[in-house]
Amino acid sequence: MTGSFYASALEIAVSVVLLAAMVTLWRRSVRAIVRSLAVQGFGLATVAAVLGFHLGDPGLLVVAALVLGAKAVVIPYLLTRLVRVDPGSRETQPLVNVPASLVAAGALTFLAFAATRSVTAVVPSIAGRLIPVGLASMLVGFFAMFTRRKAVSQIVGLLLVDNGVALVAFLATSGVPLLVELGASLDVVLAVVVLQVLAVQLRTRLGAFDLDQLTELHD
Amino acid sequence: MLTLLLAIPALCAVVYAVVPWRRALGWLGTAAAAAVLVLGVVVSVGAVNRPAVTGLSGVLRADALSAFMVVVIGVIAVLATWQSVRYLDHEIARGASTRRHASVYGLLVQGFLATMLLAVLAANLGVLWIAVEATTVVTTFLVGHRRTRTALEASWKYIVICSVGIALAFLGTVLVYLAALHSGVHGQNPLNWTTLVQESHRLNPGVMRLAFSLLVLGYGTKVGLAPMHSWLPDAHSQAPAPVSALMSGVLLSVAFYAVLRFKVIADGALGPDFARTLLVVVGLLSLVVAASLLLTQHDYKRMLAYSSMEHMGLIALGAAAGTPLAIAAVLLHILGHGLAKGVLFLASGEVLLTEGTSEIDRVPALLSRRPVLGGIFGFGLLALLGFPPFSLFVTELNMARAEFQVGLGWAAALSILCMAVIFAALVSHGRRLLLGRGEKEQRQSTARLVAIPLIGGLAGCVFIGISAWPLATLLSAAARIVAL
Amino acid sequence: MNASLLAGEALAAVVQVVALALGAPVLLGLMRKVRAHFEGRVGQPVVQPLRDLRKLFRKERMRPDQATWIFPAAPVVLVATVAVAGAISPLVTTRPALGGSADLFALVYLLLIGSTVLALAGMDSGTAFGGMGASRAVTIGALAEPALLVTILALSFGAHSSNLPAIVQATVLHPEILATPQRLFSLGALVVVVVAESGRLPVDNPATHLELTMIHEAMILEYAGPDLALVTVGEAMRLALLLGILVNVVAPWGVGAADSLPAIALGVVALAVKVTAAGVALAVFEVFTAKMRLFRLPELLAGAFMLGVLAVVSGLVVR
Repeated sequence: MTGSFYASALEIAVSVVLLAAMVTLWRRSVRAIVRSLAVQGFGLATVAAVLGFHLGDPGLLVVAALVLGAKAVVIPYLLTRLVRVDPGSRETQPLVNVPASLVAAGALTFLAFAATRSVTAVVPSIAGRLIPVGLASMLVGFFAMFTRRKAVSQIVGLLLVDNGVALVAFLATSGVPLLVELGASLDVVLAVVVLQVLAVQLRTRLGAFDLDQLTELHD
Repeated sequence: MLTLLLAIPALCAVVYAVVPWRRALGWLGTAAAAAVLVLGVVVSVGAVNRPAVTGLSGVLRADALSAFMVVVIGVIAVLATWQSVRYLDHEIARGASTRRHASVYGLLVQGFLATMLLAVLAANLGVLWIAVEATTVVTTFLVGHRRTRTALEASWKYIVICSVGIALAFLGTVLVYLAALHSGVHGQNPLNWTTLVQESHRLNPGVMRLAFSLLVLGYGTKVGLAPMHSWLPDAHSQAPAPVSALMSGVLLSVAFYAVLRFKVIADGALGPDFARTLLVVVGLLSLVVAASLLLTQHDYKRMLAYSSMEHMGLIALGAAAGTPLAIAAVLLHILGHGLAKGVLFLASGEVLLTEGTSEIDRVPALLSRRPVLGGIFGFGLLALLGFPPFSLFVTELNMARAEFQVGLGWAAALSILCMAVIFAALVSHGRRLLLGRGEKEQRQSTARLVAIPLIGGLAGCVFIGISAWPLATLLSAAARIVAL
Repeated sequence: MNASLLAGEALAAVVQVVALALGAPVLLGLMRKVRAHFEGRVGQPVVQPLRDLRKLFRKERMRPDQATWIFPAAPVVLVATVAVAGAISPLVTTRPALGGSADLFALVYLLLIGSTVLALAGMDSGTAFGGMGASRAVTIGALAEPALLVTILALSFGAHSSNLPAIVQATVLHPEILATPQRLFSLGALVVVVVAESGRLPVDNPATHLELTMIHEAMILEYAGPDLALVTVGEAMRLALLLGILVNVVAPWGVGAADSLPAIALGVVALAVKVTAAGVALAVFEVFTAKMRLFRLPELLAGAFMLGVLAVVSGLVVR
């Protein structure tokens, strides 16, 4: 893989991750949000694969396949099934309207740059310069979790955070050791399964996936 | 040996998954917990003043600190699994649970134990993270086991907030890994704790500062430290009593154990001040939040949950001091708090079973109506408040002493102020719950099976408070690992 | 600068304006034809807009009684600003006359003068629909503007200049910057902005006859005869100009650097091909798109803004 091709392939894959994160704030249709999550998973897997080819590391290619399977196929599939269970939750009603969310996401992106200065200073490579993007995706995920009140969109927010962290891991350290990556992916998939089951149980209790009804426990 | 330690609860979980539920099977979990405790003692004896034991081709590793945590897990697990039998009996009897649910409960509790053991035995900080995340996944269904609306709400909040927190901790772990790679740490695994401690002085301070902040925030979520504590009262109040006991008594401390491990690395890379400042801030913040919310509490399980938050804040302050004395006190406090809080949650579960409500004002005069249970609850509260001869008195005193020694006197003073508020709050709530005149004919006895482990737990708390003899060498060995 | 070069540049500028003026109505006709084809109709001939214009120019001048001088002035201003913008933009050559003044910011506000005057004229006519259309058009313009400005900022990173000919030239010299995320994002943002500014679906339906959903058509409802012809020409030229700039930023091939006659001829052909392709693509897209609710438009344009921000961000990262 030649240097400039590597650089632009990596840049584009990383941009796809960030773009997909933004699109989850932009779209209202839950299905579209889940789709863009799948796209983000695909972008993440591409990042791993590009790095793997560049470094000649077969372990990273395995990780890429793993990420592709877990985050671009299995998890979106689980979420799609969840959407199908409840036709009433096809659209999100964000607490913060879409344009304001997007402006906030832009601000968060710049914040991510400021916050990672100490890290990017350590990693002078092309990949290292892209680290803030991972943090930005993470912050967008937080934002989505705080402002979206549907169960599915909250799960999506959680996964955005997770993907952002994974992206930082790939870019900063070419991925954590394989054992850790395996365990981490398994944990994430299991967490999504648990969340899915919980969401279905909640729906049978509340009649909707609307988390605004979760107000009984407070001080 | 270490593999066996993990295999016991894992095998027990498999049994629960395969064999259909019957009552006797409930005691199997207790047996497994007891076996873990025994093995934990054996490992402790082996770990004192000797190099760390490793297992499973280097994935597992036990030094004095790990061994101590295994013992803590074992002790509380015995109490909790003992009480689980009664909880399941009751749930099945009133038709709220089927036999299948009981099996799932047994399976998840054993899985919970296994993941906690993996967390404290992990040699690799990545594996530690996986294990702590796995505890969240496993316990979510335990929190929601009663499947009421509030229980589901609590478990949703629990998994969402904790997953976010733990994602931050993963980012922190990744950054530590980055710092390690960048400083040229070699060896087959740069995430191994021992390697990292040896090389800690070479780690990039800028990266480590960000990393440790994220780790404290992330694992702090699972410890129940402010500002990401909001899941804690909900989950602890809604979970079945034995699960609350395990979560409050050990899970919080296991998460704090992760913070302690990283603190050693951060101290090496940044000097003691950074970690100290951070821990003082989160510790004091947690104390203030706990104190303010305890004042107006109406629910005795939530009251206990906020008290856990208070004690985690105290432990964070103790760890901030970081002297050997302080760390030994922190560890003993973990055990003492685990015992007292475990007993209290189990007792509160018994109260909930018989009284049917967790509101303080609707359970008056417990002491006169149910002397044994009320007595246990009362003594448990006294232990929690740090009365001698309970061990929490000794440890709180020593932590405060250590804080004064390292110039954290102001923090100690503030913490004592918060504790005074909490003292007043708990005494007033306890008085409403326990004292008063009950109707004579309502007087009930408490099943001996229930009372024995609870009284045993309180006795243990007194015993380690009077004489730290069986633990002294283990504690000092463990403290040397973490202390500055 | 010698005289022949100056003459060449002047020639190029004249060619650009003429090509725009003649080509734009044909482009409009082509897009209608494409749409008709997909809807299973035969449709009008491609040159029908030109014939309509000829007819309109021959008609009598009709103006509302209450209208002030703004109403007749607006079409002239519109056409004039678009023609100037067309003359200085790098459409067939990267070195049009006065290309040095074709700063993107200047271009944007030059085009904005036309839109603003038209909106004023819409209100000047004194009818309800005129005012409504004007208010809607201004709303969309105001929302599109931040997106456009951020996008221009991102585009200027590659060329170290916000001068449009310089940007196009830099792209000709270094085609690899086309594959950078910042260019891809800015392209996405530009497409949305161009669609919004030229009043196409899903922002506005140019073929609507339902006054309540109209934006642009409502604004010019009172125009008739030669005035309407001018407005139509101006609007068509603006669409063609925006598409032309867009294609030259994305695919600057065939844009000559020399001002010789063959180079200009080649440039005109290349421009015609590319703009036609872009127009057909836009028309096809419109066939499959429904008009968006007006209240959802801010979200669409915020999306464009977000893309612009992303473009800036990736420009900062990649450098």
